[in-house]
Amino acid sequence: MLVILALVAYPAVYHLLTNSPVANLAVAVLPRMDSMVAVLYFALFAMSFDFISGYTGYLSFGHAAFYGTGAYVVILIANGKVPLLPPGTPFVVSLLIAAVLAALLAVVIGLVSFRLTGVYFAMITLGFAQVMYVFVRGWDYVASNPRDGPAVGSTHAEGFGIGIPFVDQLNLAIGSFTGDTVTLLGHELGTYTVSFYMVGLVVLLSYFAMQRVIHSPFGRVMIAIRENEERAEAIGYDTFRYKLGAFVMSAFFGGVAGALFAGFRRSVTPENTFYFLVTGDALLASIIGGFGTLAGPLYGHLFDHGVREFLSNRGQGGGLLPYLQETLSEGLLTTQLPGGISVQGFIQAALNGHASLYVGIVFVLVVLYVPSGILGTVRSRLGGKLSETLPARVWGDR
Amino acid sequence: MTLLELDGVETYYGESHVLEGVTLSVDEGEVVALVGRNGVGKTTTLRSILQLTPPREGSIEYRGEQLVDLETHEVADRGVGWIPEDRRIFSQLTVGENVRVAIPDDADTGEALAIAFDTFPILEERRDQEAGTLSGGQQQMLALARGLVGENDLLLVDEPSEGLAPQIVADVAEALNDAARETTLLVVEQNLPLALDLADRFYVLDKGRVVDDGDTAEVTADDERLRRYLSA
Amino acid sequence: MTVPLLLPELAAFALQTGFVDGLGQFLRPTNLVSVLVEGLAKSAIYVMIASGLTLIFGLMGVLNFAHGSLTMIGAYLAGVVMVVLVGSATGQWTRLAYFFGALVVVFAALSLLGGIMEVGLIRELYDRPPIYQILLTFGLTLVLEEVVRIVVQFYGLQPISEWQGALGTKPAFLATDQSLGPLSIRGLAVFEILLGVATVAAIWAFLTRTRYGLYIRAGSEDAEMAEALGIDVRRVFTVVFALGAGIAGVAGALLMWDPVWGASVPLAAETLLPAFVVVIIGGLGTFRGTVAGALVVGMADATTTWWFQNVVTWTWLPEMAVFLILVGMLVVKPQGLYGVEEVGGH
Repeated sequence: MLVILALVAYPAVYHLLTNSPVANLAVAVLPRMDSMVAVLYFALFAMSFDFISGYTGYLSFGHAAFYGTGAYVVILIANGKVPLLPPGTPFVVSLLIAAVLAALLAVVIGLVSFRLTGVYFAMITLGFAQVMYVFVRGWDYVASNPRDGPAVGSTHAEGFGIGIPFVDQLNLAIGSFTGDTVTLLGHELGTYTVSFYMVGLVVLLSYFAMQRVIHSPFGRVMIAIRENEERAEAIGYDTFRYKLGAFVMSAFFGGVAGALFAGFRRSVTPENTFYFLVTGDALLASIIGGFGTLAGPLYGHLFDHGVREFLSNRGQGGGLLPYLQETLSEGLLTTQLPGGISVQGFIQAALNGHASLYVGIVFVLVVLYVPSGILGTVRSRLGGKLSETLPARVWGDR
Repeated sequence: MTLLELDGVETYYGESHVLEGVTLSVDEGEVVALVGRNGVGKTTTLRSILQLTPPREGSIEYRGEQLVDLETHEVADRGVGWIPEDRRIFSQLTVGENVRVAIPDDADTGEALAIAFDTFPILEERRDQEAGTLSGGQQQMLALARGLVGENDLLLVDEPSEGLAPQIVADVAEALNDAARETTLLVVEQNLPLALDLADRFYVLDKGRVVDDGDTAEVTADDERLRRYLSA
Repeated sequence: MTVPLLLPELAAFALQTGFVDGLGQFLRPTNLVSVLVEGLAKSAIYVMIASGLTLIFGLMGVLNFAHGSLTMIGAYLAGVVMVVLVGSATGQWTRLAYFFGALVVVFAALSLLGGIMEVGLIRELYDRPPIYQILLTFGLTLVLEEVVRIVVQFYGLQPISEWQGALGTKPAFLATDQSLGPLSIRGLAVFEILLGVATVAAIWAFLTRTRYGLYIRAGSEDAEMAEALGIDVRRVFTVVFALGAGIAGVAGALLMWDPVWGASVPLAAETLLPAFVVVIIGGLGTFRGTVAGALVVGMADATTTWWFQNVVTWTWLPEMAVFLILVGMLVVKPQGLYGVEEVGGH
């Protein structure tokens, strides 16, 4: 709950801090508003990955297939390339269609893949996702240059609205240029802020839905499968159906996340949707945040993204190097370090744009020493809830 | 002279407490049988000696040296051999390779192979065949052969007669009797007549503890003294 | 609808896409031979990038996600050796000799790196579920790739595109086509086949003819029993991990010379995925299966590449074929060509 409040307050806090005396520092350290939108929808994808992988123990290494399906379907509908669906289909409707298609895809992949376990399951799902990746990269129906991926064209120039379908007044559009702005109590909220809240709303609803499943008897069977599948089967559960059910649900929300991504960014590439490293990012977020804790991936991804942006190469709108350039003296930046490289050169060479290195090191340390992740550890220190303390114990002593 | 001495050995599998303080000793040259119902910890006792499932409490001394906290291969290097319950031959290796794996680095391979094949001529015939194609009885011979070539002073034998036809059980018993002339044996065996026939002494294990022991000469297979611990 | 009704349409489609013409061309002896040679060359590359992976998985049950990164490091390292040693005046055979020197350097360096990785990191995880080893090695790829990127950029090279300087150290007879009667065969393809065969033979001999190889095969089947027979399985693990890393590096050294691959940071992912496909098709952990898997994938790749180059315009065909074989294999026979029945039980 605190987290939700903190996130709700974030735009205001960001606005205040970046206009305050510590603005320089705030701009450097805090993720920008548009990044926060990305954090939200990608965190939802990471949660959906964790929903199947962290709770049932089946590593869905091809999860990007669902994210990609969600994203591509939304753009294809908007471009009038999906039969029977006009480009003007309300975003909420096309989002649901995209998610349902992702879920149907999961039925197909799941029927085949759940005959396997462990490493083999991870590999076959990866195989399916790669087939789709190669396919969309080569299929010129989806985009004139399929390698670069499709973008929303002129058939859908207006922003994608989130709200009640077919009632314009009850929709707010998302996107950096196409999004709506809202004037509230004399403050104008920019497109990013509006997008942040609207995307956040969908993410929140999805989170509650998944949370509900986890705490239901169905969720307990999922955890039982992870703990000891044979025992769950011996008790009389048809584990195949539970696994498939969980997989389909996680694919649905993975599709929702992909749809939000496409709705906000309005253009996607095979690399940032179907590629296996997209699943890798979700994995990163889940592990750092806490495997088998539904909210953990949000923190994990916030951390990942925060570090990346802090060490980004762009040199504008925040980050380490611009901050140092503004605050440190020219003399210090050009000071020579041993080895004939200046301070600025060192930062440029070893830090900026190389966040993967530091995130990777943190990830390795987490896997080795904090297997329950940020959230899992915090919760078990506090003697947390059952579902959150289980993972560490279960995963620890198998 | 005492070869092996277990004192208050407590072993767990995860949370379940399997051995609740096992104390027993084996003298050099003896054959000792370890009997008891299923699931009372006989196999776990052998695994504890080998440090495959290291005990949490207690001591295991072999020739006066503490085995607890050694690595399993270090225990094996000291001359403790294992002929496990389900034989555990390497099914994808040939029969000859299975024997060779068990020969210590510093031993004469040719000589060791000769010993194994003299004892079990059938293995020499099948030398280049994949061990997985052997019959159950032949696999048991192979497992015994591995124990013999390992230059062991103590062999831990687990259920050597399990799942074998009576005729083959007799062969295995003969092979064990031969082995007993050279080495000390600690044998886990469900087949009570066979166990009493092979062994000089016995220990009865129940619920993770030694509840009775004595010379095999003192008892017969249908003795009430044994039956109350052994019948289901 | 019955089949005869469909046939004319199929035939029309086949004619339209040039399928029939293509088939006729494809079946010409010279084309068949060149596809065969290309296929063997690809198989040789695949077997080299996959062997280390399968040895490690077979013995330790660790699916090493960092394997591609090790190949990539091997490619750069070999490139460094070659670029430093080779000048424009260096003779063709001298270049070849230097390359074998580079192979030794790369093998030694990567083995050392692999050994350190196993002792320092992977060893911590043997008593945890296998998923953790995937996670750890995945994290290592991030770190290794980024370190390489930093170093490569520091020396003013483009990390994304192939390292041209290293490509240029090839002797001329490997960089050009060699004519053989009516055939024209890439010199490098022949070299790749020879090196692949040599690698397979060396690994095969090591596994079947040496005492250590025997320990590895025994440990792969039943590590606990091997340990109880006096084998220090932990040390065998370290040796195999080092060896697997060394072989990955040697594969990278070869790819450094191949213009299709070349030394670049993305080489890690480009080699990791086919390597996975090959070991799974062959049956995870069996070396024999990996050789067979590499042949299947290599031949499929070469055949579809030929079709794409000569008949159809589907750029995605070769890559897609590789992954479709993977999915098909897992659907039909999940344990792979030579895998044992018990799937995923590791």
